[in-house]
Order: sequence, then C-alpha cells, then structure tokens
Amino acid sequence: MDSLNLLLDGFATALTPVNLLYALVGVTLGTLVGVLPGIGPAMTVALLLPITFNVPPASAFIMFAGIYYGGMYGGSTTSILLNTPGESSSMITALEGNKMARRGRAAQALATAAIGSFVAGTIATGLLVVAAPLVVEFAISFGPEDYFALAILAFTAVSSVLSRSVVRGLASLVLGLAIGLVGIDQQTGQARLTLGIPQLLDGIDVVIVAVGLFALGEALYVASRLRHAPPEIVPVGRAWMGRADWRRSWRPWLRGTALGFPFGALPGGGAEIPTFLSYAAEKRLARGTAKEEFGKGAIEGVAGPEAANNASAAGTLVPLLTLGLPTSATAAIMLAAFQQYGLQPGPQLFDHNPALVWGMVASLFIGNTMLLVLNLPLAPVWARVLRIPRPYLYAGIVLFAALGVYALNNSWVDLIVLYLLGLLGFAMRRFGLPVAPAVIGLILGPMAEIQLRRALAIGAGDVSTLVASPVAGVLLVLSALALLTPLLRKLLRKVLAR
Amino acid sequence: MSSTDEREGVKPRRRPELALALIVLGLGVFVIAGTADVTAAASTLGLGPRFFPLLVGSAMIVIGVCYVVDVLRGGHGDPEESEDVDARAPADWRGVGVVSVIFLAFAGLLDLLGWVIAAALLFFGLAVALGARDRLRAGVVAIILGVATYLAFVKGLGVTLPAGLLSGVI
Repeated sequence: MDSLNLLLDGFATALTPVNLLYALVGVTLGTLVGVLPGIGPAMTVALLLPITFNVPPASAFIMFAGIYYGGMYGGSTTSILLNTPGESSSMITALEGNKMARRGRAAQALATAAIGSFVAGTIATGLLVVAAPLVVEFAISFGPEDYFALAILAFTAVSSVLSRSVVRGLASLVLGLAIGLVGIDQQTGQARLTLGIPQLLDGIDVVIVAVGLFALGEALYVASRLRHAPPEIVPVGRAWMGRADWRRSWRPWLRGTALGFPFGALPGGGAEIPTFLSYAAEKRLARGTAKEEFGKGAIEGVAGPEAANNASAAGTLVPLLTLGLPTSATAAIMLAAFQQYGLQPGPQLFDHNPALVWGMVASLFIGNTMLLVLNLPLAPVWARVLRIPRPYLYAGIVLFAALGVYALNNSWVDLIVLYLLGLLGFAMRRFGLPVAPAVIGLILGPMAEIQLRRALAIGAGDVSTLVASPVAGVLLVLSALALLTPLLRKLLRKVLAR
Repeated sequence: MSSTDEREGVKPRRRPELALALIVLGLGVFVIAGTADVTAAASTLGLGPRFFPLLVGSAMIVIGVCYVVDVLRGGHGDPEESEDVDARAPADWRGVGVVSVIFLAFAGLLDLLGWVIAAALLFFGLAVALGARDRLRAGVVAIILGVATYLAFVKGLGVTLPAGLLSGVI
C-alpha cells in the first residue's frame, strides 16, 4: 500500500496545471518527431533532450515520460501508413498494418494500434508500480561486484541478442566503451585519451554521441543512398474501429502486454523479440476469417505486436529506474538525461527523490491517456507529416542535431566531434553494426569501471571477490550464456542440417 | 545482399568493411598506448586509472582481430534498412562529401556568423544537396527556421546560441 500512497503523491505532482502542460508538450512533440520517417524512439529522445535543459527536474521528467511514450506511438503510425520498415520495434506492425491500410482499413489499423498501446501502456505501467518497489527492496543490498556483473550482463546481452552477428555487436559495444573512457578519471583526476584537447577533459557528452550516431549518421547514410521515388503513403481519415474489430483486438492486446512487459525488463530483451513472439502467437491462434486474413492484413497482427511494443517500453523502465540499468538505446539516453540533473537512478533514487520518481510514473498514466485522445482524431495530421519532402526533413534533422549539441557547451569543438561520430554512425549503418550496444557501452562503461574498482578495492585486489556474492555469480553465468547463445544456435543448426 | 555479392564475385572482391574492422583493432591499440603515460601514483589501494582502459583496449584488440578474420572469410553485415534508404543503390559518395563539407563549414563559421545566418545556410545547403528542387522555397524555409529556432530556444527556453553578425538586431 505504501507505493500506492507514493503514486497518489506522484499524481498530485503531475496533475498541477504546469506539469500537465509539460506532459502535453512532451507527448505532442514525442509523437510528432516519432512519426517522422527515419527517426526512431531513441533519436526522438536524443533530439528533444535540449528543450529540457532549463526546466526543473520534476517537470523535465514528466515531459520526458511523454516524449518516450509519444515516440513509441509515432513509430507505429509511420509503419502502418508507409510500406517500408522503420525502426526494428515497429517493423512487425508494418507487416499486417500496412496491408490493412492498403485494403482500405488504415483507420482500423491505426485505431487498434492506438487503443492497444493505451491498454498495454496502462497495464504495464501498473505492473511497473508493483514491480519497482520489489526490485528496489531486492537491490538495496547489492554490492559493487553485483552492479559490475549487472553491467557485464547488459553489455553481453545487448551485443549478442540484438544483432545477427555477435562480433559486430561486440565491435559496436567496445567502440562505445572506448568513447566512454575519454576524459578525466573520476577517482584519480587523471586525464585519459584527451589528445591534449582541453574540451575533451570533461569527456564526450552522451547527447553528442547519441545525436551523432543516430541523427547525423542517419542523414549521411540517407545522403549516400537516397530512395529516389518517394514512398507511397496511404491516405487516412479519423481512426476508429467497429464492434468486430474490438472483439478481435482485445485478446491480442492482453497477450501482447503479457509478452512485452517481461521482455522489456530483461537486459537485451528490448521490443523486437516480444513483438515478433506476439505476431507468431497471434498467427498460430488465428481461426476462421482471421486465419484467412493473416498475411493480407489481419487486425490481430497489429493489435498484438503494438501492445507488446508499448508494454516493453514500460518494462524497460523497471531496470532503468530501480537499478540504473538501461536495456535499450532509448533507455540509455533517458539515463543520460537523469545524469544531467546529477541524479543516478537506482534504489537510492526512490529514497531520496520519491516525488520525482512517482511524479514521472504518474505522468506515464496521464501521458498515455493524452496520447489516446490525441491520436485517434489526429491520425490525418500525422499522415500529412509523413509527406514532408525528404531534403527538408533531413536538413532539419541535422539542424536540430547541431542545435542540441552546440547548446551543451557553446563549443564548435563539440560540433566537430559530432561530425566524426556521425561518420562512425554512417559506417555502422552501412556495414550493419547495431548502434544500441555502442550507446549502452558508453553510458554504462564508466559505471562499470567505478564498481569494478570499488569491488576490487574492498577485496584488496583479489579477483575472486567479483564472484563472491551469489547474485554476481549468477549474473556472470548468464552473461556467458548470452555470448554463447548464437554459437550454440549455429552448432544446433549444423547438427540438424547433417 | 547476397545477389550483389555474386555479381561482384567476378571482379576482385573489394571489402570496404575491412576498414571499419581495422579501425576497431587500431583503436584498441590506441586505447592501450594512449593511456600508457597515465600514472597511477594517486591510488595506492585498489586499481589505478590505467586498469580499465587496459581491459577495454585488450577486448577491442581481440574483437577487432575476430572482426577482421570474419570479414576476410567473407562475412558481411546487412546494411541497415530505413524508410528513406534504398539499400540496394550504389553509395553516392558525392552526396556524403557535399553534406560533410557543408556541415564542417557550418561548425567553423557558426561563432562568426551567428546562429540565425549559419543555421539558415546549413539548412539551405543541405536541402539543396539532398535534392530540393525549388531553391526559393528552400531559402524561405531556411530563413524562417533559423529565426524561429533562435527565438524559441534563446528567448523562450533560455538556451545560449551565438548572435554573431546579427547581435543587437535580434
């Protein structure tokens, strides 16, 4: 009951007129930027970070919660109305969603996505309220070796599960770790890898890396191979659905939520696996008309994965808020936002800043409701956003990327660093290196270092202290398994093929 | 990607990805060499500031070698798909070069010209480079965006941006 009271306090924080306005601005901007093609949720959050620079923390996080959920909503609209696959989390939605749109059922596809996201988001945020205090209670006794092991698990899981080639996932991870080393060592004050450039003493800001890898990298990639024929957009009116659609949608919503939340909370889980599993489950469970429609635009194939996508977004917040552990690129950028305010998510955050945490959680409920109200009637507006001429779109993305990065320190050196990271992002896209491991390595690397040194200092340099606690031992075994999974999968396939 | 590979199979195979793999490997060496002069005098207990870079650098070298081997053995990643990208089109290096020059010029001239002018030029240049046909319209949009972002962020959100040539005017 304790957390219920705290949540009610959170609602008191979030329901003030000013904070409601911040939430509304957050969801609107989040959806608007999320709808833009080529911009996934992680880039949405990174590009919108600068507007929170001068906002008080509680309001900033209420706005962020809105941007986060809004970006998720926006992505699904894009994938339903445009034929081409966008960010991986809403790729599955495009499978059936775009086919529905082409058969003249765009309004129903958008409606089941929006309402399903609302249902899943609300249930999953409820689960977050229940789960977070439990995890906090468990994690309060974590020692430095446990946190180090947790970081290792996040590294290995995100590198091997999310990419088809483990070596490319790991290459991306170590690039992020190396970038994270630049700057003054926090414990001894020694400068590392700064090449004598004074602006690098403070390290390379996460915003620069995220905006460089995502926004500028994408713009350069697009410049290298712009699709010359603009993609076809399905026209749409107000989103709505009939009684039969409701009847066919509600079970997939609930099943999608059940799949999405736990996977979102797991390191390396993300949104890709649960959306895919939900799609596969709905396809298998389909009977009658639904079975015939699968592959040609079945509403179940939109309802389930969309719910899974949003539930996983809420699930991601559990390890982020309770352990300071980001499990996706978007979560890593959210963590950077916390750090900008000098806040470190983890068990202590719930003790020291309950108003901020619970205000943010409460605003997730509020933002979710706003998104539903906003998205059903505004679908035609978002469809128009998709028609922005591509040269303007990418020029605008670069403009806002430069603005956000320059505003950090008012330094042109940052812009050069941004450009170099943009080139790296371009190369990573070109050669199929996933970007998420780099961002997570960058954010978690310094934390892993501090915890490792702390643990070894406590153990007087004895390496066995790293596996002394059962929690750390289990986590490290899981990390090894995460690395070995693709190998095992390959071996199994070879054996089966023989 | 497999179809393009077969086509290229006739010619001697070029592997641009090798460059990226070598960069990972080279950066690993750099991380270790670059932190060699960092002294650990300050810390007597526990590990100095060199330990973790050594760990990361070694991991980079191991992974870099694996990556190089993988590329040499014919492995390749799949170019990322995106809404506006034609993954099968040949790379347009001129486009990348023009975008790079415009961006670097923007970075160099921003403090001198001020946000409004530099941002407008950046937007106009990129839009035209990426294929905007109506230059007048691109110019008008560029000026509106330059002024609007300045007003919104500097006057509205309190972010500092350089006024440059227009200081006093705006």
